[in-house]
Amino acid sequence: MNSYWTLTLGMAVVTYLPRLLPMLLLSKKEISPSFSRWMTYIPVSIFSALVASDIFFWNGSFNINPAINIKLIPSVLVFFIAYKTKSLLWSMIIGLVGITLLWIFL
Amino acid sequence: MKTATIQNGVKAASPVMVSYIALGMACGVVLYDAGISIFGIGLMSVLVYAGAAQFLAASMLVLGASIPSVILMVFFLNLRHVLMSASLSSFVKDRSFGFISLFSHVLTDESYGINYTKSREGLWTTDEAMMTSLSTYGTWVLSTIIGGAIGSQFQVNTTIMNFALIAMFLCMMVQQFISREHMIAGLVSAGVTVLLMVLFKHNIALVIATIIASFAGYGLEVRKERRKDRKKDKEIQSDLKGGESHE
Repeated sequence: MNSYWTLTLGMAVVTYLPRLLPMLLLSKKEISPSFSRWMTYIPVSIFSALVASDIFFWNGSFNINPAINIKLIPSVLVFFIAYKTKSLLWSMIIGLVGITLLWIFL
Repeated sequence: MKTATIQNGVKAASPVMVSYIALGMACGVVLYDAGISIFGIGLMSVLVYAGAAQFLAASMLVLGASIPSVILMVFFLNLRHVLMSASLSSFVKDRSFGFISLFSHVLTDESYGINYTKSREGLWTTDEAMMTSLSTYGTWVLSTIIGGAIGSQFQVNTTIMNFALIAMFLCMMVQQFISREHMIAGLVSAGVTVLLMVLFKHNIALVIATIIASFAGYGLEVRKERRKDRKKDKEIQSDLKGGESHE
């Protein structure tokens, strides 16, 4: 469980500092506009990397055959639902229903 | 703190509290699935308190990522709080260090949304803002613990549970499609991730892809702006020329 403490304390530090230090030391004007613009590209890149590192792989190797890698079709479905509704809950529900159906029938 | 202050704070937080119950429980289930105990889940929620980061940790742990690469990704993910934190600094400038230490810890995208809007409207005290943030904080901590307990009672199918995470990240990704450049950054990130994962079979691929894609998106935005400026300059010049020819 040693790794648990490293993980949790590490996460706590890197989460707390970006929350505390600016509020204590800065005002919005003091942050360079290029830095704040670059920052807006980080979340989209992270989420996309997380999704891609998962859905295009099946049993650890690259696989884009939708009949074997059953995550592909529900992913497309969720993408459109997310685009239309922007709702986390709906995306999760549709995703779960989709993957469960494929799991049962394939 | 006055009863009215507490009531106002909780009332403003209530819609967010409802969504935190659902997401917190889901987060607890996946963290338990990733091998963290119920106590560990609760403690993580108290110390870290960052929904997206906790989901990310669960997802990367399941994929067998190393702890430093998880922490690095959490760091990048939470950099976005820098701006929010800075924009609240004038709101809390008269408060003590202790107050700010706690108030900044309970800053999330959602609590920021409420407190920033309310504070701009004027009639929002720092105590009410604190109350709003603390009620969402408490809701999150409890919900993740309940989720962990649920996860410990039921054997969940890992492929299916893991896909709940993917569906959420897909939605969070789509929510970030705020411009064409952001969409391209997302595409670049996906492409680079897949390529590096195939080549290196290591989760550091996610970190590298994130850095490359964020700079690519930012670079495109800067280039677009320069082009626009140049076009404007040309228009002004041709307007001037047009004016001259009329005379």
